Amino acid sequence: MSSVADGNTMMNEQRREFIKKTALGVLVGLGAASGLVPAFSLEKTVLPVWDEKPVPGKIRWGMLIDTRKCKEGCQQCAAACHHAHNVPDFRNKKDEIKWLWQNPYQKVFPTASQQFVSKEIQDRSCLALCNHCAESPCTKACPTEATFKRWDGIVAMDYHRCIGCRFCMAACPYGSRSFNWQDPRTAIHDPVTTYPTREQGVVEKCNFCSDRLVKGQQPACTEACPEQALTFGDLNDPRSDIRQLLEANETTQRKPELGTKPSVFYII
Amino acid sequence: MIEKALKGNRSYWIWIAFLVSVIGVGLSAYDQQRWFGLTVTGMGRDISWGLYIAQFTFLVGVAASAVMVVLPYYLHHQKEFAKTVIIGEFMAVSATLMSMLFILADMGRPDRLLNIMLYPSPHSMVFWDLLVLSGYLLMNLVSSWAMLGAERKGVPPKAWVKPLIYLSIPWAFSVHTVTAFLYAGMPGRHLWLTAVLAPRFLASAFAAGTALLILVSLILKRTTGFDTGKEARAKLTVLAAYAGVANIFFLGTEFFTAFYSNVPAHKESLQYLFFGLDGNCQFVPLMWYSLISGVASIIVLLVPALRKSTPWLVGACSALVLSIWIDKGVGLILGGFVPSPLQDIVQYTPTATEIFVTLGIWGIGILLLTLLLKVVVAVKMENEE
Amino acid sequence: MEVMMMSRKLLWIVAVTAIVLFAVLNVFRKGEAETSQPPVHKSVAVDSTKCIAPASFMRANHMQVLYEWRNSSVRTGNRVYIAHNGSKFEKSLNTCLGCHSNNRMFCFNCHSYANVKPKCWNCHLSPMETP
Repeated sequence: MSSVADGNTMMNEQRREFIKKTALGVLVGLGAASGLVPAFSLEKTVLPVWDEKPVPGKIRWGMLIDTRKCKEGCQQCAAACHHAHNVPDFRNKKDEIKWLWQNPYQKVFPTASQQFVSKEIQDRSCLALCNHCAESPCTKACPTEATFKRWDGIVAMDYHRCIGCRFCMAACPYGSRSFNWQDPRTAIHDPVTTYPTREQGVVEKCNFCSDRLVKGQQPACTEACPEQALTFGDLNDPRSDIRQLLEANETTQRKPELGTKPSVFYII
Repeated sequence: MIEKALKGNRSYWIWIAFLVSVIGVGLSAYDQQRWFGLTVTGMGRDISWGLYIAQFTFLVGVAASAVMVVLPYYLHHQKEFAKTVIIGEFMAVSATLMSMLFILADMGRPDRLLNIMLYPSPHSMVFWDLLVLSGYLLMNLVSSWAMLGAERKGVPPKAWVKPLIYLSIPWAFSVHTVTAFLYAGMPGRHLWLTAVLAPRFLASAFAAGTALLILVSLILKRTTGFDTGKEARAKLTVLAAYAGVANIFFLGTEFFTAFYSNVPAHKESLQYLFFGLDGNCQFVPLMWYSLISGVASIIVLLVPALRKSTPWLVGACSALVLSIWIDKGVGLILGGFVPSPLQDIVQYTPTATEIFVTLGIWGIGILLLTLLLKVVVAVKMENEE
Repeated sequence: MEVMMMSRKLLWIVAVTAIVLFAVLNVFRKGEAETSQPPVHKSVAVDSTKCIAPASFMRANHMQVLYEWRNSSVRTGNRVYIAHNGSKFEKSLNTCLGCHSNNRMFCFNCHSYANVKPKCWNCHLSPMETP
């Protein structure tokens, strides 16, 4: 009997020894780690308790441009866009940065038929902007995923990550992207405080006003147009205004043969 | 072994001093660029890649061309290349370094360079290009240095060296193919959107790189007395000539598809480069010079009586290198951007700052090559005694 | 038994050394603003109970918070932050600048003292630049 009790005591002793040694070891380790490795902090940043992550692919933002409604010489959409986003104006073609701009029909639709086009259409001003393609070559080309496809279809720019290689600019078949060849802050003539600027060395482009969408507002260009030529909405919602207009009208897109699946449509 | 690069005669040190001063000027030009931005170059919204990327493209080709001597020597035991291989490999090291420096010079935010590694994007060709180029640089440097060291000590090289060299053979092909894929997958740039771009890159690389190797070996012979051998040069000449023929053939097929099909997207860039478009003919004289001198130099390299004569050989090789430099650099890169996606035709002229940075990087590459070849020559001539 | 006694002794020696080392290295480290405070504008009174986290936590970790907020807002689309006490905040620099709007030197105060130069203000409009 006593030998069993002795056996138990022996076992307990050994167990105690083991626990002490382990505890000491842990203390030694932690002490050493936090003393010798200053960056190691035991406190971790708390992640949000509940994720309100949007569902990818649920919404697909798109725009319909009715070029018939564009008035001669009107630049209000581009002016509103560039103003709202602190887009600089360097006043020289080489360094030009533009998110949204007017162009003659044959430049915006060079692969459409150019034979016997009516004078009225030839002289028509068509808006050019980032098409936020469903299968964008620019996001495929980006080596750091600084430009990437968002959950809502917008092709976004992460200006924090962009290395300025301009590969996306080479990849874009629509010429929608601009680069900051110099510091933009010297050339913003009418800055707003509601949106940041960009800096020298990064690529920028239209962002479908994601900053306004998050506040429940329409894009700046859509709101500014005096003729309501621009319709912005969810292409995935069959009851949205844009979808109804797409059903009711003959529309076209820029360079559809390239397979980029743009989100911008035009009524010519 | 590197101490051998620190001993030289007066001409050697004058050459080093010249290179260092070119590099110095390049660095100060680069400093301007870092401060003011890439606006100091001739690039703009429509032509967003210029001289730097042109140099990068050309130099990756030169780097890949080392395989033209490595493959025959190591895989097929063509003993004539014994003294040439290491020169080719060190040329590859220098060219790879230069091409990576040109990418760095072209970046808007070089301080964010590591983002390519921190956020790997396998769908992007630039990611793969960085990987293969870094690998190629290390592979060639390490294996060549090890081989040279072994030769100097009179012992066989370590077991890992040969496999590394064998690996560099397909790696060289992949280096330039990945670079071609940078361009060949862009849906909006029809001059580049052709399956024949990668084969054309390899052909022009093998022609220009081999021709450069011939020139470097002749320079070595003149300046140090170290002769890689007439047979080696003769073989290289033939290789360069036929690679050049392939390149011209590929250009011919491009012309055919573009002009026979009559599709505007296919035609327009070539039209702009060789015939001018809508009155804009900035590069027409340069492109014709490149084509004519390219063909002429290939003919010279193929005619036995001419290629055996050193002055003709030097002339033909230089002309071939220049022709391909124009074709790959000016023609390919700038031509790809014209007309712009909105059918605009924009001029491009490199600025002085851009040119100085370019020369500075060439200086760095040539300095590295000088130092490495000094070691090579010292070791090889020591062993010959 | 002898060996066990020896190894126990050794373990104690190592443990004490580690603790002493830890104490020495941490007490004399001037990394955080705990040991010496930067000058604070006496005129501003900020209600730090309304902040997303306690002031001491923010001082140590605001960089990580901003980094995670940035990735979450820009790249994932998750713009809502739930603080410890359950209140919700938008993951935006404006959230911080909105609360601390009465101090134009909000970020610059500590950063200039600590000689830290974050690049936020190359693009974002700093409290000094906004009215």
